[in-house]
Amino acid sequence: MVLKDVLIKEARTAFMLGNEAIVRGALEADVKMVAFYPGAPTSEILDTFSAAVGEFDYQMEITSNEKVALEVCAGAAFSGVRSLTAMKSVGTNVASDILFVLGYTGVRGGLVIVMADDPHAHSSQSEEDGRFFAPNAYLPMLEPASPQEAKDMTKKAFEISERHRVPVIIRTVTRVNHQSGIVDLLEFNRKDFKKVKWNELGEKYITLGEVARQKKLKMLERTKALSQEFETSEFNLITRADSAMGVITSSVSYLHVLEALKILGLQNKINILKLGTTYPLPKKLISNFIKKLKKVIVVEELSPYLEKEIYVLSKDINPDLTIFGKLSETFSEAWEYNPDIVATGIALATETKKPDYQTILLKAKELKDDLPDRYPTFCAGCPHRATFVALNQALKIQVSKGQNHYFANDIGCYSMWIYPPISRSDSSLCMGAGVGVANGLSHVIEERVVAISGDSTFFHAGIPALINAVHNGNKFTLFILDNSVTAMTGQQFNPSTEFIAGGRKGKKVLIENICKAIGVEFVEVVDSYNVKNNIEVFRRALDFDGLSVVISRRECALYGDRVKRRKGEPIVPFYVDKTLCKRPYVCLRTFYCPAYELDNDKQPKISLELCDGCSVCSKLCPLHSVKRVEVKK
Amino acid sequence: MSLNVFICGVGGQGLVLLTRVIGDACANSGKKIVTGEMYGLSQRSGAVSVHMRIGDDVFSPLIPIGQADIMIALEAIESLRYIEYLKKDGVILMNKRIMHPPIETSIIIDSKNKLEYFSLDQVITRLKKWTSNIAIVDALKLAKESGNVRTENTVFLGCLSALQIFPVEEKYIKQSIIAAVPKKTVDMNLKAFELGRKNAYDSLCTQVACREKP
Repeated sequence: MVLKDVLIKEARTAFMLGNEAIVRGALEADVKMVAFYPGAPTSEILDTFSAAVGEFDYQMEITSNEKVALEVCAGAAFSGVRSLTAMKSVGTNVASDILFVLGYTGVRGGLVIVMADDPHAHSSQSEEDGRFFAPNAYLPMLEPASPQEAKDMTKKAFEISERHRVPVIIRTVTRVNHQSGIVDLLEFNRKDFKKVKWNELGEKYITLGEVARQKKLKMLERTKALSQEFETSEFNLITRADSAMGVITSSVSYLHVLEALKILGLQNKINILKLGTTYPLPKKLISNFIKKLKKVIVVEELSPYLEKEIYVLSKDINPDLTIFGKLSETFSEAWEYNPDIVATGIALATETKKPDYQTILLKAKELKDDLPDRYPTFCAGCPHRATFVALNQALKIQVSKGQNHYFANDIGCYSMWIYPPISRSDSSLCMGAGVGVANGLSHVIEERVVAISGDSTFFHAGIPALINAVHNGNKFTLFILDNSVTAMTGQQFNPSTEFIAGGRKGKKVLIENICKAIGVEFVEVVDSYNVKNNIEVFRRALDFDGLSVVISRRECALYGDRVKRRKGEPIVPFYVDKTLCKRPYVCLRTFYCPAYELDNDKQPKISLELCDGCSVCSKLCPLHSVKRVEVKK
Repeated sequence: MSLNVFICGVGGQGLVLLTRVIGDACANSGKKIVTGEMYGLSQRSGAVSVHMRIGDDVFSPLIPIGQADIMIALEAIESLRYIEYLKKDGVILMNKRIMHPPIETSIIIDSKNKLEYFSLDQVITRLKKWTSNIAIVDALKLAKESGNVRTENTVFLGCLSALQIFPVEEKYIKQSIIAAVPKKTVDMNLKAFELGRKNAYDSLCTQVACREKP
């Protein structure tokens, strides 16, 4: 149903997620090549393009990481083909090597890079402010506030990219990607895809040494021209009021500002400059805006990126200007903003009375006393839970025999091992870093290092670190949790399945073959659900005097359920036979499955609606009291 | 005029689809709507919430504290987790269903069963300190009655569409349901919608202004 709106042929309005609006904008702009590695909050861009593969003639790849995705798009753009990639904030770090180079080489066809920051670290390891990539790489940057603007800017970005022969960054935040609203759709105007004759283009994309030095000068000229162009961009809006007070803002903060002014009764009483082109900044526009103001409030999430520029500009044009922002501690550099935070800041700067949020929050806090937490947890049927149970038991036995451990977690669904009730991890860092730090730790600590990686994470950034371990003779144990898909971001295909974007047939890459080929001497593959057998295998791996890799394989339960539903296969749940259960609670103490709860007699009970029928708990019960529901035929 | 609806529940209960249906219905009936969707990780059983704002004079995708006119809680405990968003005397449409998180069960066992689960009665007692307009819906039962246990979300659409303050007409909601759900579940979803609507007229509408009964 998400796809439906993206496919609408005629001009009309539709209710769209920011991410879908970006896809629609790209399709209206006749994008011909897209490539992504999934990452919240951008994953729906990938998913929507993947669902629409059969409907349009663009080329699409789900790549092994963000750097490859950008390189795929760069290759197409070198040939004059319009391309788009999207990545989460921290994904841009991975892609940054090629990102910086593209500033020098430029492109021929429009290349748009959607970069989504995640203030509040909703689904990321850090609150990175990716805006600084733009000035650092000399790449123009546009920042939408709403789905409509996300669509308009995406379309415009292709034009800018081609006119200036430079990749354009669309910088979003989670609250834009995951904001839905009414969007005006325009008609598609797509041309048929045709292969390009490279030799006829006469293009070269080289940068090094003297070539780079010359290109740097051109890059500076290009930035000047862009700056000039952005002075009159339709994405920079000024709302005038008869006042010496102004607000400068961008991205979703603009919408919070409008809401806050309404809350404070200041609508139409303060001048507003909403910036859509945030690199290069329209300096004349900003200077003119602040020239006659006494006070300006800068509202932007994360770092004082705009604010510092405004300090610089005010020095010449209006040295007496009072600037409220992060440097004045009116706003914080931490966490995502909302109307209440913005209203509080604006109230402070304008000496206006604000609503009494404190009383409301205090009263709410009283009502929440002792409310059970709902941490992210493994889904019912999740193979990672089964791997955890076996690993936990194997580690316990090893500890009793004198072997202690460092637990190097990584990024994926298994990251949830850091949360209670499991709470097991000595580190959890960034993609592939579990294997990476295991290398260093194995040299300097007495304990055995246990590193974790998922299939997708291994392909993404784990392989170089593992090769390093083989080459240097580092001794640790790596568990690769292979659930066939990139589960956490919505079960996208990755090299561990035989499918590629759009559900088309591709070639499966076997992780054990990679491990063996690079010279890992201990490689075993187990079925994650086979807990009892796995305890022994895991122990042997931990005892191995060298580098050992265990691949625990079983497809993601959510993905598996979808496949089953499509085939019309039933999901048959389990139940606890009350006549057999003596309440030793082995199931609850070791398994933490959300399908389990206690009934009124404090006996474990399985919710038939939630049980996935994985059978693992039935194998753990010492009294054999967990049984499969009989299906009437 | 504007209407703020705060929707919360647990991953897997169909909050996103529910949001989608209302959004499409707004698009088709010429109403402005903006939503902010909070679903971090793509896993089941975590806390999920949606800020929904319908009307011409709303800007932010997030509802300011204390400004939600309606709260829909697809899981009972979740209603308290976000209670600060609800206006004083706002309307709560709450599922009777509680899905106890594994951590809660672990704590009870560790206490040697001295502790008890957070109960529906506890939830209601606390909610009453905030508002008296609480409708408790046995959505799982009604969903099962409709023939599809996964239609709890549609039951709530039925309840919502009965309320006078909800500005979207029933026919647009139904039209969106038909377009949004898998073909083979359309009839079950429409039945779930009717059951939810009837449930609202039987209970909630005795306290809160509702549209005229069709």
